[in-house]
Amino acid sequence: MAQYAADVRDIKFVLFEQLDIDGLITTERFNDFSRDDIAMIVDEGYKLAREVFAPSNEPADREGCTIEDGKVTVPKVMREPWKAFIDGGWLGLAMNPKYGGQGAPDVLRKAVDDMFFGANISLNLGLLLTPSSGHLIEVFGTEALRKTYCEKMYTGVWSGTMCLTESGAGSDVGASKTKATKVDDHYLIEGEKIFITFGEHDLTENIVHCVLARVEGAPAGTKGLSLFCVPKFLPDANGKPGEFNNVVCAGIEHKMGINASPTCTMTFGANGPCKGWLLGDENRGMAAMFQMMNEARINVGMQGAALASAAMLEALRYAQERLQGSHIKDFKNADAPRTAIINHPDVRMMLMRQKAYCEGMRSMLMYTSYAFDREQAAKDEQEREPWSAVLDFLTPICKAYCTDMGFRVTEWALQCFGGYGYLKDYPAEQYMRDSKIASLYEGTNGIQALDLVGRKLGGRGGGNAKAVGKMVSKVAEKAAGHPRFGELGKALGVALARWGEVSKGLGAAAAGGNMLAPMLGATQYLGLCGDMLMASFLLEQALIADTALEKAGVDPADAKALLAAARTDAEVRFYDSKIKTARFFFANELPQLEAKARSVTSGDTSAMDIVWPELA
Amino acid sequence: MKILVTAKRVPDPEQKVKVQGDAIDLSGMNFVVNPFDEYAVEAALRLKESSGAVDEIVVLTIGSKDVTQQLRSCLAMGADRGILVEGDDDSLDSEQTARIIKAVYERESPDLLLMGKQAVDGDNNQVAQLVAGKLDLPQACFAGQLELEGDASAITVGREIDGGMEFKKVPLPSVVTVDLRIVMPTAVKTAGSKDNQEYAEGPRYASLKGIMQAKKKKIDEISVGDLGVELEQWVKTTSVETPPSRSAGIKVESVDELVDKLQNEAKVL
Ligand SMILES: Cc1cc2nc3c(=O)[nH]c(=O)nc-3n(C[C@H](O)[C@H](O)[C@H](O)COP(=O)(O)OP(=O)(O)OC[C@H]3O[C@@H](n4cnc5c(N)ncnc54)[C@H](O)[C@@H]3O)c2cc1C
Repeated sequence: MAQYAADVRDIKFVLFEQLDIDGLITTERFNDFSRDDIAMIVDEGYKLAREVFAPSNEPADREGCTIEDGKVTVPKVMREPWKAFIDGGWLGLAMNPKYGGQGAPDVLRKAVDDMFFGANISLNLGLLLTPSSGHLIEVFGTEALRKTYCEKMYTGVWSGTMCLTESGAGSDVGASKTKATKVDDHYLIEGEKIFITFGEHDLTENIVHCVLARVEGAPAGTKGLSLFCVPKFLPDANGKPGEFNNVVCAGIEHKMGINASPTCTMTFGANGPCKGWLLGDENRGMAAMFQMMNEARINVGMQGAALASAAMLEALRYAQERLQGSHIKDFKNADAPRTAIINHPDVRMMLMRQKAYCEGMRSMLMYTSYAFDREQAAKDEQEREPWSAVLDFLTPICKAYCTDMGFRVTEWALQCFGGYGYLKDYPAEQYMRDSKIASLYEGTNGIQALDLVGRKLGGRGGGNAKAVGKMVSKVAEKAAGHPRFGELGKALGVALARWGEVSKGLGAAAAGGNMLAPMLGATQYLGLCGDMLMASFLLEQALIADTALEKAGVDPADAKALLAAARTDAEVRFYDSKIKTARFFFANELPQLEAKARSVTSGDTSAMDIVWPELA
Repeated sequence: MKILVTAKRVPDPEQKVKVQGDAIDLSGMNFVVNPFDEYAVEAALRLKESSGAVDEIVVLTIGSKDVTQQLRSCLAMGADRGILVEGDDDSLDSEQTARIIKAVYERESPDLLLMGKQAVDGDNNQVAQLVAGKLDLPQACFAGQLELEGDASAITVGREIDGGMEFKKVPLPSVVTVDLRIVMPTAVKTAGSKDNQEYAEGPRYASLKGIMQAKKKKIDEISVGDLGVELEQWVKTTSVETPPSRSAGIKVESVDELVDKLQNEAKVL
């Protein structure tokens, strides 16, 4: 049976030992939060995730969502955790206190989402979309709209959605056909959106949709899209759900995973007038959406990392329990006792690989979210710029790399279970199915890679890339001068130089009018960036761990003493494992960076040149 | 009225216990509030919420500074004030614990001392009884139901016994310990309870608001010396070992062999 666990120790390590959390909680914006508060929120969040969310995960997947006469029912087991989350105020954790939020830093939201997503991603999707869409109203809505909607949404009385996708407008959002016609102070919305997460359900009394639509006469493409707030029921004078607004769910999808999250086809104004209120200016809808994109994309990256971590811990537990074969030291003895599979070198390699990516991804995601907080809390432009630069560059990498590698981790975790992993009796297959969606929505990973090479790489006149280079070179230099990490420091320096070369090459190609090379190389380039960043974050962690060991009175240079201490002391074990994880990644995974570099710079255009047979 | 609730921190019962030398290995252990004490806090909160007669819920814990964390989580649930008696919570035996609680009781003079029936680390189930004896107070242990009188002069305690429930009405002040069932939806009642009032089963989770408010609540730190308590150790630990692990089962060939083994090896027949 599944027994959800989160790596709380590692979450706290990143929060308190790797990030400069004091630098954040001394800013005016976040000075209400102390280290103790943050630790307690993490602990209480874990309790809720483990005791209330996790038990619903498997049954909710099996039950799935149903629709009858436009009414969508989510699995019954989701009702209690949904309510517990709302009652505890978790929905508003990082939202504006003016509207009932708690005003916590986003990085704390990430820390707890690591656990909530891991415990039940379907459930947390609905819960996270609500404050995000509420935030659009807060930032772009009029005072009247804010008053009507924000508190209701930050306290979970009403839920929210994001409606971009149409059947003809997926990656190409600009192809949207949904229409908006101005009438007095509002607009009439007409059209159909598909794939809308939590578009319809039976958990809240009202649902508020943030809808992209085109005002009559507006230009084609994304430049003619405007954003509207469209409630299912029009709020009456007392702020209660009143008249039905002709928002109808026409159907739900049958999916590979996240079965407990209803994915809805929504029609607006098909059977009567459907009113919407403009958020921001006409034709500025995409710009508004883009402002929220960073947050949303880091969130999706966290989904990848969270499911990976949950799956990995299940695999670790299973590997310690499952007996099969004999220990390598007994390989000649047919009568040797059966050994736990964790003792087999190949299984150990799989587990280590999972651990390395899980921890590297967590570190990168939390750092990026931290950069977002620092950007938000900055006093002036000068303080803000460097954070914005890093944030811009890392965001598509967080989204695509963490969801691609996160999915791979769930696959390796399943592999550790052998044939049992393929069965529904074990949790591995659900993590793998649930994880896949994250590489698809919120802009497919292919689109993320194009965003990286097309916008972010050259952004701020090269300032984005420079800021990231600076961040990595700091770690490389620190390690290069370290008695135990000199080699790794040098290796990171080499990776950084290679990344610099490849990045320059892509920039030069684009500047010279060769757009094809960056587009063909985009996905590999994103992977290359991710590999370098994993190495950098893991090495930084190893350096911190080394210092922590010294502080604890264990000589990190004395391998024997270290091993003995690691066997008996959980803290030593934790820090020691950090160092081994970094070494593992550099030896076994980082070499892929060079392969990707060669691919990106190969100049090969076969993929474009090939003539495919036309399939009927 | 005032309720004093005791709360001990214990190693998270969901973790595997490991023995190191002559002691349990506590390194890297996650600590939580003893579940039965958490139930006592929940029961106190329900009494307060429905009766309107409770002015203050004070939570007492004994331990090192680290225990403040568990105390704060009780405050985050909604208790009003904390008391931390600084001491080494690993080495205290039931007698010593009872002496400290008695001293705090005398300082605070609460109307009800509410405790978990036992701590899940040592599973001794002794402290409440010792405290009641020392204070010469009425005691009612293993409460699965509670009903507070309208004038708060007495409390009716429902205790689970073989074949049913036994109800005892005890005058206040008194010592009451709670069992698992006290956190069932309708287990706690007062004169102010609504007819069909139901709580969610289990101790409540701290809300974020509760957590942020908890840090503003007062925690008094007292030393054992301040309380004037003599700590004489009655129980000494001589050794700690893990129970022998279960050996693998075997398949028997026939019913006769099974009966034979049950008779002669297991000696259960
Ligand atoms: C379970 C689920 C939940 C969803 N929730 C929401 C939601 O709440 N709100 C919402 O608005 N949408 C939602 N979506 C929609 C999702 O964001 C889209 O499916 C996604 O953006 C991709 O669009 P598409 O499916 O039309 O794929 P397509 O755009 O058809 O893409 C197909 C393939 O072509 C590639 N491709 C397309 N265009 C380009 C290009 N220009 N350059 C390079 N490659 C390209 C893509 O990367 C992809 O590999 C959800 C989808 C699913 C499956």
